Amino acid sequence: MNFGPVIGGPGGPTVFDPHTLPSDDNVNAYTFCVELKGSQWFLQKGKMIAYYGRMEFNGVGNGRFDRLLRTSFHSPMHAADWVVAEGSGKMLLADRAFDVNSYDLDNGNLTIRSGNLLAYQPTLALKQSIVPGFLTLIGTGKFVAASNGPVVFMEPPLRVDPQALVGWADCPSPCHHYDHGYMSGVLGGLRSLTGIGGSSGEEHQFEFVGAGTVLLQSSETLMAEQAIGAVGAGAESAGVPGAGYGGGHGQQGPLGQLGVPRMPGQLGDLQRRLGL
Amino acid sequence: MLAVDLTGDAVKAKNGSMVAYDGQMAFKKMTGGGEGLRGMVTRRLTGEQMTVMEVQGHGTCFFADRASEINLVNLRGEKLYVESSNLLCTDAGLRTGTTFTGLRGGATGNGLFTTTVEGSGQAAIMSDGPAVVLRVSAQYPLSVDPGAYIAHTGNLQQSFQSGINFRTLIGEGSGEAFQIRFEGEGLVYVQPSERNTIGGDI
Repeated sequence: MNFGPVIGGPGGPTVFDPHTLPSDDNVNAYTFCVELKGSQWFLQKGKMIAYYGRMEFNGVGNGRFDRLLRTSFHSPMHAADWVVAEGSGKMLLADRAFDVNSYDLDNGNLTIRSGNLLAYQPTLALKQSIVPGFLTLIGTGKFVAASNGPVVFMEPPLRVDPQALVGWADCPSPCHHYDHGYMSGVLGGLRSLTGIGGSSGEEHQFEFVGAGTVLLQSSETLMAEQAIGAVGAGAESAGVPGAGYGGGHGQQGPLGQLGVPRMPGQLGDLQRRLGL
Repeated sequence: MLAVDLTGDAVKAKNGSMVAYDGQMAFKKMTGGGEGLRGMVTRRLTGEQMTVMEVQGHGTCFFADRASEINLVNLRGEKLYVESSNLLCTDAGLRTGTTFTGLRGGATGNGLFTTTVEGSGQAAIMSDGPAVVLRVSAQYPLSVDPGAYIAHTGNLQQSFQSGINFRTLIGEGSGEAFQIRFEGEGLVYVQPSERNTIGGDI
């Protein structure tokens, strides 16, 4: 009898030990190895799958990290989702078997969907984007991000599907674009209200203009997103986009919030179409 | 998908995991996983249940389960510890059994018992995304997140380590509150994904 080959699987098992594991590089498409030499990395909670060596994981907001947080962490709303790893050794990161990749920023800026960012070096500063649900990294250093399917890089001018957007670098923030031909008139109104008559699911896009790079994932399934980046309603939030209706999920319909991708032909909802 | 060439011999596979075959095959459900009455009772008591079929014949048989990744493990007399839910297929000559895992099992959310596969031959284990095989040796112990652990071989001691401190209790938990620490000599298989575990939320 003869087992294999495993169709579509890896050729043969490679056995890794601390010497053969790469340093700050991918082990395979879905696993990333970070080497710590007494240094620190920020990681999103629960993305560490294994490590060699001595390491400690501490939630941010810890008194000991005051100085570190002052320089590299400016998203108090996300504080509960981030930990600081420190120590020495090699650590493997992965996220729900999604593709992971590292990116280097050289005195640059990049905005990314908050659920897609796995880890970053403290030489970068993490700030909350004014677009709800997105985070901006500024500075020089390496970060690791996950995507559902490989990431595709595009250049503006460009219109993208909201669900395929992972992030963007060096260009002004996107704006909404609606396919007005499809939505105007009595019939269009009926269509967007009821979904009857064939809404293509593509009437709403994000539009990018200017110079820069847009990152897209090759799937429209969003990663389950934590309700972060939402801004509270109230006097102190006046003028903050997204404030006032509590949700902060302007780019998603109610189905999107449940993690269900919006399929063509589904019942439309007024709120999303009209951007209320 | 796993392809197995059979020339009159047999493999044991998870019940219902055959997707296609060519040639002549006979499928037989093995009550109690082929471990006899004692095995049946043990599995019932420990909750580490698995329904297994024996496939015998000439030709090629294809196995798959929920599009999960398949990893082949070659055994030369050593023992493979794997969760029954992650075991797809083994050589018919390999002995399977159950063993107590202690606290680690509680943390992985798979119960306090695990399945062992012993003998010489091949076994196919499933993971969510291709598994990474990590070597543990005397000078390099390994810590693994319980949700990412799928299997291990060799002579390894497991201990449970916890990073719970007063910060966890005031809501500043690190999300990495529990790890299994492996010491000794052997290989550990981890998947690039985490099952939901109690520890993951703390």
